[in-house]
Amino acid sequence: MPLFRRRNKAINKIPSVNAPIAYMEEHKDAKITGNLKETTDFIIKLLGENGDFLMREFHVFGQYPATMFYFSQMVDPSMLNESILKPLMYTPPHIQTEQLPPERLQDVLLNNALYHSNCQTESLLPSLVKGILRGETIIAVEGLKQAFLIATRQIDKRGIEQPATEQVIRGPREGFVETIGTNLSLIRYRLQSPELRVAQMDIGRKTRSKVAICYMQGLTNPELVDEVNNRLKRIDVDAILDSGYLEQYIEDNQLSPFPQVQYTERPDKVVANLLEGRVAILVDGSPLALIVPTVFNQFYQTVEDYTERYLLMSPIRIVRLVALMFSLIFPSIYVSIISFNPELIPTEFAVAVAGGRAGVPFPAVVEVLIIEISMEVLREATIRLPQQVGGALSIVGVLIIGQAAVSAGFASPITVVIIALTTIGSFATPAYNAALALRLLRFPLMILAGIFGLYGVMIGLILIANHLLSLKSFGVPYLSPLVPGDFQGMKDLLIRGPLWWSNKRPSFLYPLDRTRNSGQSSTSTHEQSENALDPAKFQGGKEKS
Amino acid sequence: MEQTRQVTVTQAAAVLVSTIIGVGVLPLPLFAVRAADSGAPLVTFFGMLIAMVGLLLITWLGMRFPDRNIVQYSEAIIGRWLAWIGSGCIIVFFAVLTSLTAREFGEVVVTSVLKTTPVEVTVIVMLVLAAISSRNGITTFAYIHMFYMPLLIGPAILIVALSLKNADILNLEPIWGNERKDMLGGTVTIAALCQGSFILTMVIPAMRRPKKAMRASFWGMLIAGGLYVTIVIATVAVFGAEETKKLLWPTLELAKATSLPANVLERLDAAFLAVWVTAVFSTLLSSYFLTNQAIAFLFRLKDHRMFSIFLLPFVFLMAMFPKNIVQMYGIIMQVGRVGLVLTIAYPGLLLLVAILRKKRGKPLGSSKSG
Amino acid sequence: MGAQKAVKTVKLLCIGMLALPFLTGCWDRLEIEDRAVVLGISVDAEKPEAIAEEDETTHKADAPAVAGKEMVRVAVQIALPGRIPLGPGEGGGGATNAQRTVWVIDVVGHSIDDAVMNLQQQLSSRLFFGHLRVIVVSEEVAKKGISNINDYFHRNSEVRRMAWLLIAKGSAKALMTAAPQLERVPTLYLMSTLDEAIGMGKFPIDFIGMFWSRSAKKGQEGFLPYVELKKHQNVEIKGIAYFRSDQMVGKSDPIGIGVYMVVKGINPAGYRVLIQIPGTNKEVTTAATHRKSKIDVAIKNGRPVFVVTAAIEINFEEKISGDLLINDMKTIKTIERLQSRQTEQAVEDFIKQTQRVGSDIFGFGEYVRAKKPAYWNRNIKTTEKWQNMYKDVSVEVHLDVRIRRIGMKSQ
Repeated sequence: MPLFRRRNKAINKIPSVNAPIAYMEEHKDAKITGNLKETTDFIIKLLGENGDFLMREFHVFGQYPATMFYFSQMVDPSMLNESILKPLMYTPPHIQTEQLPPERLQDVLLNNALYHSNCQTESLLPSLVKGILRGETIIAVEGLKQAFLIATRQIDKRGIEQPATEQVIRGPREGFVETIGTNLSLIRYRLQSPELRVAQMDIGRKTRSKVAICYMQGLTNPELVDEVNNRLKRIDVDAILDSGYLEQYIEDNQLSPFPQVQYTERPDKVVANLLEGRVAILVDGSPLALIVPTVFNQFYQTVEDYTERYLLMSPIRIVRLVALMFSLIFPSIYVSIISFNPELIPTEFAVAVAGGRAGVPFPAVVEVLIIEISMEVLREATIRLPQQVGGALSIVGVLIIGQAAVSAGFASPITVVIIALTTIGSFATPAYNAALALRLLRFPLMILAGIFGLYGVMIGLILIANHLLSLKSFGVPYLSPLVPGDFQGMKDLLIRGPLWWSNKRPSFLYPLDRTRNSGQSSTSTHEQSENALDPAKFQGGKEKS
Repeated sequence: MEQTRQVTVTQAAAVLVSTIIGVGVLPLPLFAVRAADSGAPLVTFFGMLIAMVGLLLITWLGMRFPDRNIVQYSEAIIGRWLAWIGSGCIIVFFAVLTSLTAREFGEVVVTSVLKTTPVEVTVIVMLVLAAISSRNGITTFAYIHMFYMPLLIGPAILIVALSLKNADILNLEPIWGNERKDMLGGTVTIAALCQGSFILTMVIPAMRRPKKAMRASFWGMLIAGGLYVTIVIATVAVFGAEETKKLLWPTLELAKATSLPANVLERLDAAFLAVWVTAVFSTLLSSYFLTNQAIAFLFRLKDHRMFSIFLLPFVFLMAMFPKNIVQMYGIIMQVGRVGLVLTIAYPGLLLLVAILRKKRGKPLGSSKSG
Repeated sequence: MGAQKAVKTVKLLCIGMLALPFLTGCWDRLEIEDRAVVLGISVDAEKPEAIAEEDETTHKADAPAVAGKEMVRVAVQIALPGRIPLGPGEGGGGATNAQRTVWVIDVVGHSIDDAVMNLQQQLSSRLFFGHLRVIVVSEEVAKKGISNINDYFHRNSEVRRMAWLLIAKGSAKALMTAAPQLERVPTLYLMSTLDEAIGMGKFPIDFIGMFWSRSAKKGQEGFLPYVELKKHQNVEIKGIAYFRSDQMVGKSDPIGIGVYMVVKGINPAGYRVLIQIPGTNKEVTTAATHRKSKIDVAIKNGRPVFVVTAAIEINFEEKISGDLLINDMKTIKTIERLQSRQTEQAVEDFIKQTQRVGSDIFGFGEYVRAKKPAYWNRNIKTTEKWQNMYKDVSVEVHLDVRIRRIGMKSQ
């Protein structure tokens, strides 16, 4: 690498600035003068100290001095060699290249020489620096007042894999990856419509993360799109490392335990939501897209609900809802029945429970709290552990500790059953963030149950319900369509109605175009369908012949 | 106060239903049976008719002034000072009603479930819950009622359905009752249980289509009244009039006398009472909200939230006033009868004056673009 | 900014103060194993001399309210939490140590509450009546009147309306200490005896709540199951103990239960009847399967007259002796006629029996009240008047018996 060394030596001659941002801010209107030296100095002052920064001097068409700047690990070197350096250095025979005036030279280079599709010209020096930071290659030519920005970025990325957190048995297997370009392509590939709009902006003073806002023009309510844009524009932070950062800046109520923004790593889910009239937000570097506005019922719906037949999925959805309620109230109901209203359970069972609890030194509420907290510890530990040992630990934790706790007289067997059911119930909720909220709210409910019994549980539930009812996500009531009373939307609330039932987009999103399908597609296909292979037709024919 | 005009007809009806159905359901069959033993369902029905008349007056009045509530239009109708007195009475009455409701439920809970918990604690818990929730705007208020309505009707219907297997139709005969001791008194007492429906005066100005308020009040009253009558029928049919007279809270006793099939829950009284917390809460919320809003409008305050906490100590102290449960029911009946004058006669008077003086609110649409 | 902070602090303080009552709480928390779960109670009569056994818990021994008055002996059956094994498998020998799964304690007192108070004084954990399933009262107490028992259990919010109140022949306490072989917990056996009896059509549904409702009615009296402890520690339902107001005034034979159920048309039906064909030694038994009845009331000569029309469907059960062929309609008709005459007689006898003491357990008075309110208001109006009038109202009984099936044999 003699070339590398030589360049570094040249770079080192010029001292770098101490406060790069301030320096850029100071020269934010600085233009390229045409003097190559000045341009080079400016860039080197800002980026020259970096080991992975490269500067390559060469002559365009063998006569015009030029310099190329880029970060060596962010660009595709073969593209650089083949489509940029080669055509620039090699004098094309069919073009007159001698003594061109600067304007003409720029034209020739852009229109005739460069073999690259994404090529822009830029006259502001700070923009050049930003381009280099993004992974683009800059070519400045002596005498030209504009430099070329060529999109040569190539970042190593993960291949498209199955979504880790939202796996399905039936349905697409693709999940988002970190790079926004790939993610957008996954959406576009599913939604080949001119209506799909992708607006982009950069957020984060330091990270300059690319954020894409996707919506359906002519379908999504424009007010919603504007509001999303406004909320995103108001964000002024230095770093957006994941879409989770964005979520916390754009949600309506930061104090609520309930998530008001849904996230997903499934492109098909994003597309489905776009088609309902929602807005999706993607962030470069995050494999999770945000979807707004979000209502509560989305948290117990899964992709499979729609890919599998409705008759089978409706009860399964109800099971999921039961699991959700389990994970919230089961321990507190248990505590209040054991400590306050044992007359509610059958006598035989009550006597048995009393027998099981006879040796336990703590009140039921303390016992349940202790076991619940240890369960949370166990769960947290299992997430942190490397996958290879995780399984072993959970078996040790759940089976052995549970069994030992019972035989040590530390917990009653029924408590262990209750906690196990609760824990499993919280795993059945598809949305991790919603399950987290309910998991957390379980604890205050348990304490209320310990003070007031069933009455306390009810008070707690009323508080939670009132909070949910006052909550809004981008103006949409959180419990829609249940609570503002939209009967059309209720077809997809507890049960999953047949696809041809829900022929309207959710009305609480106020989409510009409400009709999803004609509503007759199924009935009409039924009427016209024929028993193509009806045995009567064939057997009858056979016997005749 | 906020982006109003969002309340739909269904929501308005739900507000009425869940406001009317409250702690009053628990002693309801007792009141009815005391008036005319086996004629209790009939008494209840008459009570509902009176309440319906009152509600219709309010609705009619509200539809005359579709963008104002009672505090505002009473000023327009009978002048500022008279209206101040009227509104003041309403505020005081509903504050008292709130406190009595909270106390009554507190007594129920302490008598039947939480025997050693001080009644002050159960009362203040309910009041704090209502105070916190009344800080929301009218839209959320309507949502809350909408959400709780099925939770009130469901258990009540379940209890009635489960108890029907022990019902004896003979207990309901003769339908006009053997001894009609105090038919009028009973009717009035039962009508007074529906005073919460006055909340409609605050809901109409927030309705999307105030023209349909009549429909909302009709359906609201029909559902709530139907449930009242059903519960009385079930209770009397199961226990008989004489036994019902011996029970302080016959509806609760009805829950006690039924068990879920297959003994999932052996008795339903504690569970029913727990679910009934929501019913009481929604009633309490309505009267608290009404008081709170009326004060805010009377003093022309921008924000009604401050008062919700400010009101709490007063209501609590009033709730603690009755010395025992017998005195409490005495006061409840007295207050109920006075309140009936206030919630039926006063709006009736306003309506009469409004018709005579040809006062009328601006029709909708002239002030708002959409 | 400063003001805002101050407001926030004040708000937080307010919330903290409001939360205070929550934090001091747990008033009612009482763990299930810390409760003395009472499964059954028995009440026996005691002589006034038993006061010597009692300590002064609710009153002084020489208080005028109690001195020299009759006393009651109350025994409670308390479940012992640790002794009743969890699950079906573990306690295979449940039957052998049944005695030890519960603990029976008895005390004396002047009233139920007095006795319970005395008992609580001797017991560490709080008595809990939420699972009280069976209350047994001795015949002696019942004959004196059970208004005190009714009042105590009616007022107590823990007691369920679906508990059983039984009248025991002889000592009621014996039923508490009995150790039947079938269930781990003796009281639950007692309870299931009665619950199953309902299922088999051997007894009408008669929970304590229903007894209260019936007793409260002006035109009806309550009745209770009358039981006796047999030699294998099992319990027999011996009949109906019928009441006038709060006093037990008589009891029926077991067949009286069937008679009552015929009059009221209560299903399922389950009584078997033995019939002898007159003039022969041919005897058969039949089992009732379905009953239906209708009671009509009319006022004749200023007195209510009742007509009970009942229909019973029966199955042919067994031939005891003789070689009767039951494959022709004539024999069947004979049996039907015989049984209806026999049952009519039994019904009339039983009604007469209750009329003698003025105990209208059938609720004929309620029919008058409901169907003839004008007559009722003019002539009766009160419980006492009906009790007197019931003694000499006339009741006509019409029975229609039908044989439906004869089992797997063809003759």
